[in-house]
Amino acid sequence: MKNLRKVLQSAGAVLAVMGMATAAQAAGEVNILTWEGYADDSFIKPFEEATGCKVSATYVGSNDDFAPKLAAGGGVYDLVSPSIDSTKALIEAGFIDPADMSRLPRYEEIYEKFRTAEGINHDGKVYGVPFSWGSIPFMYRTDKFETPPTSLNILWDPALEGKISLWDDKSAIYVASRVIGNHNIYDLSDEELEAAKAKLIEQKPLVRKYWATAGELVDLYAAGEVWISNTWGGYQSALLAEQNIPVQEFIPEEGAEGWMDSWLIVKGTPNEDCVYEFINMATTEEGQCGMSNVNGYSSANPVAAKNCMSEEQFKALHQDDVDYLDSLLLWTNLRDRLEHYTNTWNAVKAAN
Amino acid sequence: MRETTRRQLTATAIVSAPLMWTLVFLFIPYLVMFTYSFYLKKFPTFVPAFEFVNYLTIISDPQYYQVLLRTAKIALTVAVCSFLIAYPLTYFLVFKVKSARLRSILYMAVIVPLWVSYLLRAYTWKTILGNEGILNSFLVWSGILSQPTDIFLYNQFSMVVTLTYIFVPFMVMPLYASLEKIPRSMIEASKDLGVGPLRTFWHVTLPLSMPGVIAGATFTICLTFGDFVAPFLVGGPNGAMIATIIQSQFGAALNWPLGAALSIIMLIIVLTIISVSDRLERAGRIDLN
Repeated sequence: MKNLRKVLQSAGAVLAVMGMATAAQAAGEVNILTWEGYADDSFIKPFEEATGCKVSATYVGSNDDFAPKLAAGGGVYDLVSPSIDSTKALIEAGFIDPADMSRLPRYEEIYEKFRTAEGINHDGKVYGVPFSWGSIPFMYRTDKFETPPTSLNILWDPALEGKISLWDDKSAIYVASRVIGNHNIYDLSDEELEAAKAKLIEQKPLVRKYWATAGELVDLYAAGEVWISNTWGGYQSALLAEQNIPVQEFIPEEGAEGWMDSWLIVKGTPNEDCVYEFINMATTEEGQCGMSNVNGYSSANPVAAKNCMSEEQFKALHQDDVDYLDSLLLWTNLRDRLEHYTNTWNAVKAAN
Repeated sequence: MRETTRRQLTATAIVSAPLMWTLVFLFIPYLVMFTYSFYLKKFPTFVPAFEFVNYLTIISDPQYYQVLLRTAKIALTVAVCSFLIAYPLTYFLVFKVKSARLRSILYMAVIVPLWVSYLLRAYTWKTILGNEGILNSFLVWSGILSQPTDIFLYNQFSMVVTLTYIFVPFMVMPLYASLEKIPRSMIEASKDLGVGPLRTFWHVTLPLSMPGVIAGATFTICLTFGDFVAPFLVGGPNGAMIATIIQSQFGAALNWPLGAALSIIMLIIVLTIISVSDRLERAGRIDLN
């Protein structure tokens, strides 16, 4: 009996020590749920050395992964980086804390279009710090087209049968709607959704494959399966260039969608100090150029981008061209229309 | 008295572990799913309710039965193809291969691919069937085709090929078991009575192996029914199956209630298949004693 008590006491002591150890670690860490290129060693390592904040990253494959992971609860993540069409649901579901603006000294340098975006502002408070942006342009194999395509109508050209791909996403509805002439792509009525559905079903025999991941689209081009598709601006084209596949991105006459990713602070994070250290790093020179160099996306903070980019890169990423940014149809949360969009897209895929 | 109590306690303890497991990992999750299927989608997530809206949507919107029909069609095709490949192979293994060592090596060769990642094996078919894949390269090289064809990959054909390849072992295993159980004396008796090999097969071997055929068909049909990797990897624009739609309800649409209702319907379909096959197997069972 005495022995047992001794064993229990020492076990308790061990547990107490372990508890202290985790507490000590917790003082200097930040756990982020993000896209793969957003926690690259090239800028994370220097950050960890400079601040003593240990960064642990978990990666998502799509914007749909954020809500289920946060809904499961458990204080696993401190920071998330969803795109601007997915932020509002997280904020209204109560998963996110508002940002303390006094701890973000360079917030005002960020593009106004982003700072005023409806998706990160709620009840007069700011819930997200913009980080990166880009377009959803179209891309084609330059060796397969005599005249460069300029209009989305080419996606319905029977001559390209079996060589067309579209992103397996509600984005296909945005594309079809613009072709029909419905430019209110984030606010389509039921009739307009039906029209987009009919247009996409008409296109199905020409489609080789709806692409689901970035890597899949690269494979489709590399294997000669696909000659034209939409793409994540700057990303897949760079990967294809490495493989010497001649591709060119273009913004169609009918316009293109734009996206923007922000950092959102998960409600009740115990690692506030490191969280703000991280956001400040990410949205200034170190993180902005780090992100642009790794992913080929544009920076949300043009002041920081100007300081750390070469003139060519600054131009290539359209950082000097506010008109370009304004021309993009920035993704918007579809609120209760989301399920109608998704079901319309599912109906297209279900049709024979 | 004390002895029986103790024995009862032991028995209860032995039974209760698997019971608890079934309860915690099967019944409670199904119950949660069942409950969710009556909830209502409401931005930003969903709200508890007791409504049949989700089931009504599934009945009234044609996309769901279109996808269910397509899934059933592919599942049946995969089962038939698996049967056509697995039966001759297993028959050969059991009746023609004389060396027991060789037989077990060949049997293992059929089973071993199951230990390789499903994803990897499905992916391999892309490199075989693709536009610049092995098959097309061969056909062009040998002069059968003048230029590569698109018809092998990204359609329902490539899905059936991939799924058949992946699920064939699930047909072979029960077939092997039931063919091996057939007493050789039955076949010899048939021969002694002057019946030819084809008629012997038709009237003796095949009926006696039916339990294996039914079990194999049940496995392949049910496994295909829930698959969403093949549509994702090798399916074309007409490749969406019911599991693809369920996945999108839990993900992209953030509509867990509708996803749950679809899952419940799929569960009912699969349970129906299993109970029908169970009955068929029982009806077809022949007492060999």
